[in-house]
Amino acid sequence: MSEWFASYQALVDLILLDCGLALSQFVVLRAGVFSVATPGLASIGAYTAAILTLRMGAPASVGVLAATCAGTAAALLLSIPLSRLRGVFQAIATVAMVQIVLSLALYATDITGGANGLNGIPKQVGTVHLLFAIGVVVYVLVSLGRSRVGYAFDAMRQDETVATSLGISVARYQALAFALSGAIAGLTGALMAYHNYSVVPEEFGFGMLITVLAYVVLGGRRSVLGPLVGAVTLSLLPELARPLADNRMIVYGALLMLVIIYLPHGIVDSLWIAYRRRLGRGAQAVATKGTADGTA
Amino acid sequence: MLAQQLLNALVVGSVYALFALGFTLIFGVHHILNLAHGAVFMWGAFVGLYAVTELHLAFPVAFVGASLVAGLLSVALDWVAFRPLRRRGAPEFSAIVSSIGAGYILMSIAQRVSDTKVMRYPFGTFPIEIYSVLGLRVTLLQLAIIGSVALIVTGLVAYIFHTSFGRQIRAVAINERTASLLGVNPTGVYFQTFFISGALAGAAGVLIGIAFNSVHFLMGEPYMLRAFVVIVLGGLGSILGAVVGGLLLGVIQTMTIAYVSTNLSDAVIFSLLFLILLVRPTGLFGTLRRETRVARE
Repeated sequence: MSEWFASYQALVDLILLDCGLALSQFVVLRAGVFSVATPGLASIGAYTAAILTLRMGAPASVGVLAATCAGTAAALLLSIPLSRLRGVFQAIATVAMVQIVLSLALYATDITGGANGLNGIPKQVGTVHLLFAIGVVVYVLVSLGRSRVGYAFDAMRQDETVATSLGISVARYQALAFALSGAIAGLTGALMAYHNYSVVPEEFGFGMLITVLAYVVLGGRRSVLGPLVGAVTLSLLPELARPLADNRMIVYGALLMLVIIYLPHGIVDSLWIAYRRRLGRGAQAVATKGTADGTA
Repeated sequence: MLAQQLLNALVVGSVYALFALGFTLIFGVHHILNLAHGAVFMWGAFVGLYAVTELHLAFPVAFVGASLVAGLLSVALDWVAFRPLRRRGAPEFSAIVSSIGAGYILMSIAQRVSDTKVMRYPFGTFPIEIYSVLGLRVTLLQLAIIGSVALIVTGLVAYIFHTSFGRQIRAVAINERTASLLGVNPTGVYFQTFFISGALAGAAGVLIGIAFNSVHFLMGEPYMLRAFVVIVLGGLGSILGAVVGGLLLGVIQTMTIAYVSTNLSDAVIFSLLFLILLVRPTGLFGTLRRETRVARE
C-alpha cells in the first residue's frame, strides 16, 4: 500500500493543489460573481511566499500565512471596483487583472526574477500538509455554505434583484466571496511555491485560467463537492489514458463545450438535481422541480 | 521620429481595429462574448500561409480565400458552440465557457497541423518596396495594410447602414424577438454576422501574419486579449468605437514601447482597460445598455 502510494504521491499532490485552485474559483462563481482572477491571486500568494523565504529566510508557516493575507488583501482591493461591474464586464476586468499581474511579474526582474521566476525554494510542503490545508478550506466552505452566507450566495447567483429585495447587501457579500477566493488562491499559491521548488510567471497565465474554470464547470458550482470532483476528474483523465494526455487541450476544450451544452449544472449538481427530482416524485411534490432548476 | 512612430502605430492599430470589429459585431448584435474569435483569426493566418506555400496562390488571392474560409469557420463555430445554447435559453456564462472550449479545440488542431512550429512566408511573397514620403519611411506592405483595412471598414459600414440586410442585422441587435415578429429571419442574421465577423478576423490574421512574417498556433491569444482593451475603450458593441479604439490602442502601445519600456506595455494597456471599466464602462462611443447590468444566471 505504502509503495503504491509512493509511486502516485506526486500525482496526489498535484491534484490537491488543483483542488485548492478549483475551490478558489468555485467561491466566486457560487456567489454569482463572474470573476476569473484566481490565477492572478494565486501568483500573488506564490510570489509573496517565495520572496519571504528566499530573501528573508522566513519559515514556511510564516510564508503561507503572509501569502493568504496578501491574497485576501489583493482580492478585497479588487472587489471595490468589481462590485460596480456586472457579468461580462467583471470577466473582462478580472482577465485584465491576471494580465497585469503577469506582466508586472515579468517586468520587475529584481524582485520576481522576471521570466526565469524564482528558483531554489526549499521544499517544505508534503502530502500531509496539502491534505490538511485543503481539508481546512473545505471545512470552512461547507460550514459557510450551510449558514446565512451560503443562502445569500445562492440567492445572488440565481437573481440579484430578488436577492437585493430580500435584504441581502449584494456588494458586501460579493466582497466576502471575493476575499474568500483570494485567501484560498493565496494559500494555494504559497503551497505551490513550497511544493514545486520554484515560481514561474507563465504558470499563472491564461492556461491556468481556463483549466481552473473547467474544473468548476465540469464539477458544478453549487456544492463544495463540485470543484473537487471536477479537479480530480480532469487531473486524472490524462493519467488514465495516454492518448488523452497527448491531446490534453482537445480533451479540455471538448469537455468544456459538451458539459456546458448538455450538462450545464456539472456532474455533481446534475446528480443532485436528479436525486431531488426522484424524492419529489415520491412525495407527489413535483413542484420542487422548479426550485431545483433555479440554478439554470 | 515621432511621426515615424505614429505611422507604425497607425498600421498596427488598423489591424487591431479589423480584429476587434468582428468581435464587437457579435457582441453588439447577439450579446455573445465570443472568446474563440482569436482562434478564428489564427486559422485565417494559417489558411493564408498554406494557400501561398502549399497551393502556390498569389498573395491577394490567398488573402481573399483565407477571409472566406475563416468566415465559414466562424459560422460553423456558431452552429456547434452557440446554437444549442440559444435553443435552451442558456445564460451568458454558458456561451463564454463554450467559446473558450471551442477556441481551445481549434488551437490544438492548429498545433497538430503545424507541429508547434513558427511558420514564415517564402521570401518575395509580397514585393518589398520602400518609399520616402515627407521624410517618412513607408513600405508598400504598410500602405497595402492601411488601404485594405480602410476598404473593408468602409464596405462593412455601407453594408450595415445602407442595405436591407444591414437593417435586419440592426433590428436583431435592438431586439431579436421583435425583429422576428416583423419578419426578419434570425437564422439568416446569425449566419451573416458570424460570417462577417470570421472573415474580418481571417483578414486580420493574414495581414498580421505577413506584417510580422510569423504564423503560429498561439498567435490568436494576445490579439484576443488586446481586443478586450479595444472594445472596452471604444464601447462594447460600437462599430465606430472599435475602429477608433483599435487605432488608439496602436498609438498607446507603440508609444509605450518607444518611450517607456517594451516589458511594461502590457501592464500599461491592461491597467488602462481596468481604468476605463471603472470610470466609463460604456467606453468612448458606447451607449448605456442592458448588458452592463445583465442578470446573472
